[in-house]
Amino acid sequence: MMKKFLALLFVSLLVLVACSSGSNSEADADTNDIKVWAWDPNFNVKAMELAKEAYKEENSELNIEIIENAQDDIIQKLNTSLSSGTTKGMPNIVLIEDYRAQSFLQSYPDMFYAVDDAITTEEFAKYKIPPTSFEGKQYGVPFDSGVAGLYVRTDYLEEAGYNSEDLQNADWEQVIEIGKAVKEATGKQMITQDPKDLGLLRMMIQTSGAWYLEEDGVTPNIANNEALKEAFRLYKEMIDADLVKPHADWSQFIAAINNGDISMVPSGNWITPSIKAEASQSGNWAVAPFPKLPGMESVSASNLGGSSWYVLNIPGKEKAAEFLGKTFGAESSFHQQFVEEVGGVGTYQPALEGDAYQAEDEFFGGQKILSDFAAWTEEIPQVNYGLHTYVIEDILANEIQKYLDGEDLDTVMDNAQSLAEQQAN
Amino acid sequence: MNIPKNLGPEKVAKKPAPRPAQSLRLKNTLVGWSFVSLASLLIGIFYFYPMVQALILSFQSGSGVNLSFVGFENYVRLFQDPVFLTTVKNTVIYLIIQVPVMILLALFLSVVLNNKTLKWKGFFRTAIFLPCVTSLVAYSVVFKYLFAPDGIVNMMLLKINLVAEPIQWLTDPFWAKITIILAITWRWTGYNMIFYLSALQNVDRSIYEAAKIDGASAIQQFFKITIPMLKPIILFTSITSTIGTLQLFDEVMNITAGGPGNATMTISQYIYNLSFKYTPDFGYAATVSYGIVFLIVIFSIIQFKAAGDKK
Repeated sequence: MMKKFLALLFVSLLVLVACSSGSNSEADADTNDIKVWAWDPNFNVKAMELAKEAYKEENSELNIEIIENAQDDIIQKLNTSLSSGTTKGMPNIVLIEDYRAQSFLQSYPDMFYAVDDAITTEEFAKYKIPPTSFEGKQYGVPFDSGVAGLYVRTDYLEEAGYNSEDLQNADWEQVIEIGKAVKEATGKQMITQDPKDLGLLRMMIQTSGAWYLEEDGVTPNIANNEALKEAFRLYKEMIDADLVKPHADWSQFIAAINNGDISMVPSGNWITPSIKAEASQSGNWAVAPFPKLPGMESVSASNLGGSSWYVLNIPGKEKAAEFLGKTFGAESSFHQQFVEEVGGVGTYQPALEGDAYQAEDEFFGGQKILSDFAAWTEEIPQVNYGLHTYVIEDILANEIQKYLDGEDLDTVMDNAQSLAEQQAN
Repeated sequence: MNIPKNLGPEKVAKKPAPRPAQSLRLKNTLVGWSFVSLASLLIGIFYFYPMVQALILSFQSGSGVNLSFVGFENYVRLFQDPVFLTTVKNTVIYLIIQVPVMILLALFLSVVLNNKTLKWKGFFRTAIFLPCVTSLVAYSVVFKYLFAPDGIVNMMLLKINLVAEPIQWLTDPFWAKITIILAITWRWTGYNMIFYLSALQNVDRSIYEAAKIDGASAIQQFFKITIPMLKPIILFTSITSTIGTLQLFDEVMNITAGGPGNATMTISQYIYNLSFKYTPDFGYAATVSYGIVFLIVIFSIIQFKAAGDKK
């Protein structure tokens, strides 16, 4: 009897499998419906809407639908769908953070559509190209810059006898000195930091062209990474001097800024709208170039976050790529509006000289912050973010706790190196 | 699955079997199987088929869809993986501290609320049970705000001068664990209490009366009557709580995201990270999930043995 039952079960399973594979022959029909997934309604989604409007003159038949999803949700949906080999319900265009791009491109090699024909890669900021390309083909249409700056409270600095001029071309040692003086004068800590998010260290090491990985994008580069060691040391110096206010999530981060609890915010330019959200602080902020690492080759420019658009290899891909190419990757009215209405900094270089970038911002005491950001964008050292940014970051976040508790730096780094070699394979 | 075999036809079969009886037996068996077959089929498809697939997956490794068979390499890696071992350690810490505390608390509350003379019984029962109907994510987010550096818990402690500076409930490795334990205790105590309450209603009042006449104190009654009478339920709740704790995910994900470092990360969250946060390695993630299966089996056996239950 058991045999019969098993046979029955087996047959029904077969039927089920047959049913599910039957619908595989998707019509390769061309479609005019283009779906886009992106996160952040005030920045990415808004930019996409501007692009959609701008493209209407070009091709009014294309029906673009923009769907807002949280970044984590997009990652999950992409991973579950692409790994099961189905593209049903997938968008034509999706926004992916540069740090994660390689992980998707390499994990799902045939699922993305190369956009070489739609854009000219030389026209974009150079540092955007390695993360967005794979095996010699360009897959991402570079979007926002993520160029970093040091946002400072000028009123706090003045109480300690400094001004934003002192931060031009400064290195972290000097910045920490100022931070200490400001704390003495005002009682305000220097920065706020989530112990699990090492974005600060990422920005620091990119100023000297270093990353968690070697240039091949696979081999962990921790134990002999002088920039990373220096960043660890500076981080500990800030913690030991009680200059760091801990936070546990985004809203606490923003609250610390808007409540005036801290004197500086080292971050990507996309933080600008959140800082400006507290209108009462207008005129009390300035943006300085990102500080250098002391004692080594390092420039006053770095990057945090930043993302690019990707086209999935599904019907409608040619039209989707053409749409991205003619808006984000060409001289179009889009770029000007992106600056004026969103306040973002793009990576399409011919547009970086536009008038919109010359605007003075009263909130930042009349500083032309966009023009500054655009100038810094060109100096960002190019690194290959590779595959394992977040694996290594979790390892480092754990090891840095030990270092802060007093363990030896080299021991901690060696440990992190061997852990990373074990995990990242 | 034995049920159809034990149906009537077996008894019929003991007698010399004439033809009509045999066809009746066949018919009966078919009816029996048709009852269970649908459920069995669905369980097979939605439980056992994925489990077998996951087992096969756990012998593969690679990023995303580029999977290849690696034999037992994943399992070797599992036992050398310090992150996995940390998550097991964290989970076991939650387990051995939180489950006993919660079960004792639930027992205590249920005995108190079972008191015949207590007024507002319905209100108290509802109030203690209410956390169980809240969504895991929603209450986690609320807890995160309660325990924030400038949250209401710290404000209260500061105002009554219990602490000199705010406790870093979410960003200190020790306090973050405490926060998680407090959160899950709040969420699940009422749930377990309901089981004890309903079991207590079935305990014969006359046993207590007899004990009282013999001069047993309230504490003696609790340990000598209540606990032995509730033993099967205590076993049940401790096993379900253990399994629940081993699968802990939502709270940690939303309150601390596993931080600081890996100080509060659970095994389930590590599986999530391996699949979605890092470059996806679904093969190794499946291996880790089989690690949980293994742990659940071990802990359940231990509890059955410890409770000395024969059935």
